[in-house]
Amino acid sequence: MKPAPFELARPANLAEAAAALAQNLGEARLLAGGQSLGPMLNLRLVRPAMLVAIAHLPELGAVAEDADAVTIGAAVTHAAIADGRTPDVGNRILARIADGIAYRAVRNLGTIGGSLCHGDPAADWLTTLTALGASAITWSKTGGRAIPLAHFITGAFRTALAPGEIVQAVRVPRPSSQAHWGYYKACRKPGEFAHAMAAVLDDSARGVRRAVIGAAGGPPVVLEGEQVTPVAAGDALRTAGLDAVARHMQAVALKRALAEAVA
Amino acid sequence: MTPVIMTVNGAEVSATVEPRTHLADFLREQLLLTGTHLGCEHGVCGACTILIDGEPARACIVYAATCGGRDVRTIEGLADDPIAAALRSAFTAEHALQCGYCTPGMLVSARDIVRRLPDADEDRIRLELAGNLCRCTGYNGIVRAIRRVLAQRPQDVIVAKPPLPRGQFAEVREAAPTVTRADAAPTSTPGDTLKQTLRLALPRETVWRAVCDPALIASCVPGARVTSVNGDRIAGELVASLGPIEARFAGEAIVTYDSHGGQIKAHGRDPASGTRLSADATFQVAEDGPQASTITLDIVYALRGPLAQFGRGPVVRVFAAEIADAVGRNLEARLRGEAIPEAPRLRAGSLIWRALWRWLRGLIGGR
Ligand SMILES: Cc1cc2nc3c(=O)[nH]c(=O)nc-3n(C[C@H](O)[C@H](O)[C@H](O)COP(=O)(O)OP(=O)(O)OC[C@H]3O[C@@H](n4cnc5c(N)ncnc54)[C@H](O)[C@@H]3O)c2cc1C
Ligand code: FES
Ligand code: FES
Repeated sequence: MKPAPFELARPANLAEAAAALAQNLGEARLLAGGQSLGPMLNLRLVRPAMLVAIAHLPELGAVAEDADAVTIGAAVTHAAIADGRTPDVGNRILARIADGIAYRAVRNLGTIGGSLCHGDPAADWLTTLTALGASAITWSKTGGRAIPLAHFITGAFRTALAPGEIVQAVRVPRPSSQAHWGYYKACRKPGEFAHAMAAVLDDSARGVRRAVIGAAGGPPVVLEGEQVTPVAAGDALRTAGLDAVARHMQAVALKRALAEAVA
Repeated sequence: MTPVIMTVNGAEVSATVEPRTHLADFLREQLLLTGTHLGCEHGVCGACTILIDGEPARACIVYAATCGGRDVRTIEGLADDPIAAALRSAFTAEHALQCGYCTPGMLVSARDIVRRLPDADEDRIRLELAGNLCRCTGYNGIVRAIRRVLAQRPQDVIVAKPPLPRGQFAEVREAAPTVTRADAAPTSTPGDTLKQTLRLALPRETVWRAVCDPALIASCVPGARVTSVNGDRIAGELVASLGPIEARFAGEAIVTYDSHGGQIKAHGRDPASGTRLSADATFQVAEDGPQASTITLDIVYALRGPLAQFGRGPVVRVFAAEIADAVGRNLEARLRGEAIPEAPRLRAGSLIWRALWRWLRGLIGGR
């Protein structure tokens, strides 16, 4: 299987990458780890005229942290997070999520930014980081913007990014030390995309009680406060393209995530 | 063609590659290192697993042109590796291979398990092997072989890599954007079935006359075009795009009508990806008061081939609901004599067009 022909740009820094994208709007796509784009290219579902490689850019491979949040560069791999090479938000929450994504060989190249920008409703980072209240920090010549992940995906495989906008990092707020976290996904086989998934953050010290359900037909379904119950989830999921079996699986996933968050 | 210099099995290799050539094809066809096998070519089966900078990776979804400066090691380059040698003997002793197709990738992953997870038990080994498919052995022999090598406690365990560097990220200048969400509400039933209801602020007879004109209906479907009508057979095209994904289905539909309703049998194929779509639908136009009507569609569909990997059931349903929504709006506009609002669409130009454009710019004296 061969992708349709494309040109490849290997910019030396983020400004060059942005320029290459801007000069080829609508024709160029960013290539991070290639672990989602590669399959789509090989299957010829996506046929861009140009790819702009960004996985090697130092600006995207770093991390930062302060008292409130951990910021992870967009090109940081799932494996680096799983191995604890990045700061975590407590209790190895991020490391455990990363370790459950795909397979080690995929985690070694797949990036946190690429996963979010691919916009697969069943992606682990999309659901879990939305529950953690994270934002995508974008980069443009005039400065960036922070897009809360709850609004980052406008539909399956579609993001709120403007043409040519690059995600530079993900900023994940730290839950308080008393926070409870739960995450459950239902897969027939480890490493495949989930059929149902739910993440729960219960952090009363920060006034947050949130559940997020992924693997639906569109953006993750966010439930806040009193709404965090399987019944409310069932109602919210009526517009998410799920059949009765899938809705049941989602309710079970939420129950299990809630149980983990209580434990 | 792009020049690239990388290290393969310890030796520097300098070559020119087409950017679309994946690393496995490069290794097999340009360097004749055929130990790297290809199964699925989309990252799922693990047959192509090799080492890049010492870590396992799928050679089928890495492009050779992006590997400049990297250290690539294939199964051929593990001939003298002590853990790989121990694994080879253990694979022989435990009957861990039959046809051998999965074995090169299996050995690379097995070596990774031995080095990275020296305390792995059987469950952990099986979990780690989920990314390497074997159609012959049933895995028992493979798991036993890895346990045998783990029990020998080889010394070459992985040294933990350093933390990632600290960096500074762009200052956020803009507030968060206001977002428009695709707000479609599909009513769904189990299986690959879809039920769509369109409410139109138009009398039933007006809608029914429109429904009896397939070309008119097609003109209301975003991305659809009728190429010919021959009796009840309609040939046409449908371009479906979902983010960066685009499929162009060419196909045929047979439409039969009864009183205020009918059936559609349709099938199509996207030649670029080989995705096939078939659908059987029944439709009904009903009165909803004197000035309004509804069209209900019951669709049973099957999506087969590459697109089905990404267009899973829920995604297809929400997507179909969005299309139905657009069809309803366009049909209303059409029947009221208004122009159909053009959906904004960024079209990716073809390479040929880009090349032509460059050449033209060159002629005019640009760059
Ligand atoms: C076999 C297999 C199983 C998998 N299983 C899972 C799973 O269980 N759970 C899961 O969550 N994921 C899974 N994945 C996907 C994996 O996590 C990918 O690594 C990830 O989705 C994409 O990251 P990437 O760096 O490879 O991005 P790429 O494939 O390079 O890019 C993905 C998309 O994002 C865009 N993009 C990339 N970076 C940026 C950026 N910085 N700014 C703007 N746009 C950008 C690209 O243009 C492209 O459209 C699986 C993948 C494979 C091959
Ligand atoms: S051929 Fe690469 S994973 Fe199947
Ligand atoms: S030995 Fe035949 S596929 Fe594994």
